Parts: sequence; structure tokens; C-alpha cells
Amino acid sequence: MDLLEVSKGVGERLAEREVSRASYMSRFLRKRVSVTPYLFLLPALVIYLTFLVYPAIYSLYLSLTEWDGLSPQKKFVGLQNYISLWGDPVFRLALRNNVIWTVVTLLVPTIGGLALAVALNQPLRGRNLFRAVFYAPGVLPLVAVASIWGWIYNPNFGFINEMLRHIGLGSLAHGWLADYDTALPATLVTAIWQGIGLPMMFYLAGLQVIPQEQYEAAAIDGANAWQRFWHITLPWLSQTHVIVITLAVISSFRVFDLIYAMTYGGPGQTTQVLATWMYFNTFQYYHAGYGSAIAWVIAGISLLVTIPYIRLMARSQQE
Amino acid sequence: MTVEVSLSRRPLGLGRVLLYLVLGLLGVVWLSPFVIVVITAFRSEADFFNYGVFSIPHSFEWRNLLDAWEIGNFQVYYRNSLIVSFLKVPLGILIASLAAYPLAKMRFPLDNSIFLLFLIGLAVPIHVTLLPVFILIRHLGLSNTLWSLFPPYIAFGLPLQIFVMRGFFKMIPTELLEAARLDGATELRNFWLIMMPLAKPALATLFIIDFVSTWNELLIALVLLNSESVRTVPLGLLNFQGQYSSQITDLNAGILLSILPIIVVFLAFQRYLVAGLTGGALKE
Repeated sequence: MDLLEVSKGVGERLAEREVSRASYMSRFLRKRVSVTPYLFLLPALVIYLTFLVYPAIYSLYLSLTEWDGLSPQKKFVGLQNYISLWGDPVFRLALRNNVIWTVVTLLVPTIGGLALAVALNQPLRGRNLFRAVFYAPGVLPLVAVASIWGWIYNPNFGFINEMLRHIGLGSLAHGWLADYDTALPATLVTAIWQGIGLPMMFYLAGLQVIPQEQYEAAAIDGANAWQRFWHITLPWLSQTHVIVITLAVISSFRVFDLIYAMTYGGPGQTTQVLATWMYFNTFQYYHAGYGSAIAWVIAGISLLVTIPYIRLMARSQQE
Repeated sequence: MTVEVSLSRRPLGLGRVLLYLVLGLLGVVWLSPFVIVVITAFRSEADFFNYGVFSIPHSFEWRNLLDAWEIGNFQVYYRNSLIVSFLKVPLGILIASLAAYPLAKMRFPLDNSIFLLFLIGLAVPIHVTLLPVFILIRHLGLSNTLWSLFPPYIAFGLPLQIFVMRGFFKMIPTELLEAARLDGATELRNFWLIMMPLAKPALATLFIIDFVSTWNELLIALVLLNSESVRTVPLGLLNFQGQYSSQITDLNAGILLSILPIIVVFLAFQRYLVAGLTGGALKE
């Protein structure tokens, strides 16, 4: 009895599902699914799947193997590479450096970029020139930025040491990038010089959206400049904050060019970051499996941070 | 507008003087590396070593640039980077536009999933694909050629480009297409004769952004290329920097050459560049 009812119920439900599936299929069949959109998408999909999606997934598999990158044999080792990461002092140092890089990027170029944007949003003389000057380093090839600063820091005739000698602080002059204590801060100064323009431009774009009446009303209510900034400007920029902070975090965890070209991870391993340590392991030490695991640590952090941002982007194009 | 006028006629208060002072100082700090590079690139080595970075140059020298161009092989790096930029950038944008058109203007099974699949690419760092791409390129017999850069560069450009083009295509009224469809125009005709001409501003923006990032790209090129004759400008500069680290005037000439096209593009198209980088992230 019970069984019969149950089976009847199941049957009905199955039938219902069949009907709904048939109508779903027929919706497309009746309209005859056109191949046209897929033909338009074909070149992009082929390249994208072959050179981005497949490699990313394949390297996830490689990260579970012990492999030198050359020989035909790959030994599957499960999560061993990820476990080994924690015992690797250079990996931990690199991770710490990426965290420092992120914190500094969030504190200096992000807040500095916001301050510059607010300042340069006012009707100042030459504000377009100022904007260009602060933004310009951000479009340069990072290798060139590294070369420029590499010789600014040059121990013998670099700009900084020359300047120190001129103002009587010659005792401070040294090889900034060769010193264990100053190498990382020196690369961070370069990153700040290079990186302040992009958040500034994002914030300038964000500031244009704030209705002027908000400020006028607040001024009438007696709010001072600081209060207006705190209660109007900052909240209105919330979407810009999401973009700027997301970009700051992912670019900090992906940083490669500046370190590779300025310090090569040295002196010792003091300026090693995840991306350089990944590169050295994969392409120079023939630890391809291990290097892939480091690459996936970067990818994991990147995916985690970027998903909310991508949802925001997708939503912005919803009709 | 009226607010701006009335503000700029305001007399200079203490606050504004301070603001100008701070901005001016920061501006000098930000600009000085450029100034040093240009000055040092155009002075003789003897002049530099005798008088130091800070001195006003006593000589004007084209030699350094010629040295970097010929002996430093920048002529080869330029040729390679120009080939890659001027072939790959339009090709990539065309492929992205082709994909963006149905995603913006047609409804078909999996349309939203495919769009999301492309967007997720923004979260995938290049790092994670390097070794498999290196292996793929070897299997394709493209190792150590300029062509090897094309597929990964195009693949990594697609997410942002499809996003921007889809957004732009969506703003173009669908009635334009429907009228043409009734007249029996094929979708390819619609794409090429209606959508693409109307999308010129978006195409120009993408072209400039992609030119800059292609010219600047290091990591993929570093992995895929290893001989002198195929080096792009960033790889070339890396090599040059190693060899000329103590010949400062030549080094600066090399730096100047490597950033010159970017500076020109920046000065000429700053508006597009900024609109593209900031507007590409969100609809305004």
C-alpha cells in the first residue's frame, strides 16, 4: 500500500520531469538551435580553453606529482608538495614577503592614491599635469622601472647615495639592494612610485559619480571638510574600494617582474616572493611538481580574492 | 561647472598654498627618475663619472642611444616587440569582438555560462599556466619563436576584452540589427558592417591598453623565448641591464629606448588609457 503510493508518487514525479524536460528541449528544437553564435565564439573558446583553462587544470594535476619537468615519468604523490611547502623556509619567507607587499600596497599607494585623487579633484591649476605625472610610472614596463631604480640605488654613483653624500649623510650610503635589511623596503619604495597612479585614477573616476548637492547640503548643516570626507566621500566610493583593494591584493600576490629584475630574489633569499620562488623551482631547479604547487597557492589566493569582484562585474552588465 | 569657476576664482588661502606645496614636492619626486634617465642617456660617460648624477651635463651625446640601438641590439628587440604588438593586438581584439557579439546580442543555450567562463579568466594568474603552455608550445613546434607568444597572450587578453566589448555591444540598439536581419543580412555582415564600426571608441581603447600590456609583458616571454634574435624589449632590457650595469650612460639610453614608445602612447592617448583601465572595471 505504502510502497505502491510511494512508487506512484515517484512515477508521477518522473513523468512530470519528463514533460518539463521535453518542453525545455522542444523550446530549443522548435526554434532550431542556431550554430551561428557558436561559430562566432569558436576561435575565442578554442584559444581560451587550450591556452588558459586546460593549462591551469593540468598544472593543478602537476602540483600533485613529483616531476622534474623533462622526463616522461611523473610520480603521483598526492598532497605531498603542498605539505612540503610548510617545511620550506624559503616558501614561508616568500609568503611573508607577499603579505608585507600586500599590507604596504594597501596602506601607501591605496590610501595615497585616494588622497591624491581627492586633492586633484579640486579645481587646481595644472591638475591634469599632476595626474599625468603620478600616473605615468604605472604604464611603464616593469623591467624598465626595475632598471631605473636599480641604478638609482647603485652603491657607487646612484642618485640616492649621491644625494646622501651631498647633504652630509654619506655614512648612510650603501648598496640598498644588496643589503639584507634594506633590499625589500627598497623594492617596496619602487612599487609605491610605480603603483600610486592606478588607484588614484580609479578614485578620480569614482569621485565623479558623487552628486555635488550632497556636499552642499552637508556644508549648510555645518559639516567640516573632514566630516564630509568621512560621511559622504568614503561611503560613495564603496564600489571603487572593492575594485582598488581587490587589484591591490591580487597584484601583490602575483608580483614577479620587479623582484626578478631588481634583486633576483636576493641577497640570500631575502626578497624572494611566491612568483619568483615558483619560477626558480619550475624552470631552474627542475622541481616542476613543487613549482606548480607554489603556482597554485598564488592561483588559489587570486581566485578567492577575485570572485566577489567578478560577480560585481557580471552584475554590472545584467540588463 | 559654475561651482568650479567660483572656486578657482577664490583667493589663495593658506590651505591651498600648502596643498600646492605638497603636490609640487611630490610631483618633483615622482618626475625625477624620468628626468635623471633622460639627462643621463644624453651625456657622455666621462661627463657622468667626472661630475656625477646631479651636475648639469657639459655635453650632449647621441652616441649612447646609437650604442644601445646597434651594439645593445635594441633594433632587434624593437622589431620583435613591434611585430608582436601590431599583429597580435588587432588579432586578439578581433577574436574577442567576435565572441562578444553573440554574448551581447543573441540568446542561445549556455550563453551566460560561457560569459562567466570567460570572466573567471580574470582570476587566473599567468603563473599557473606557464609550464603547461611551455609544454604545449613545444608540442606545436613553436618553441623559441615569436609566434609562440600569440596564443597565450591572446588567451589572457580575452576575459577583459570580451567583457568590455560585450558591454559596448549591449549599448548599441538591437533595432539596428533587426532591420538588417529582415533585409536578409547575415550575422557576419551585421557584425562587420554595423557593430564593429559603431564600436570604434571601445576598440581604440582596447587597442591602446593591449598595446601597452603587450609591449611590457615579461613573464610569458621569459619562459617561452631564449635566444637573442627573438627577444622582446623587456627581455632585451633585462639582458642589457645585466651587461651594461656599470656603463651607466648606455644603460640609461637602453632604458629610454624601452620606455619611449610607451611614453609616446601615454602622452597621445592618455584619455583612452585611463578610460579603458578604469571604465573597463565597471560601468560608470
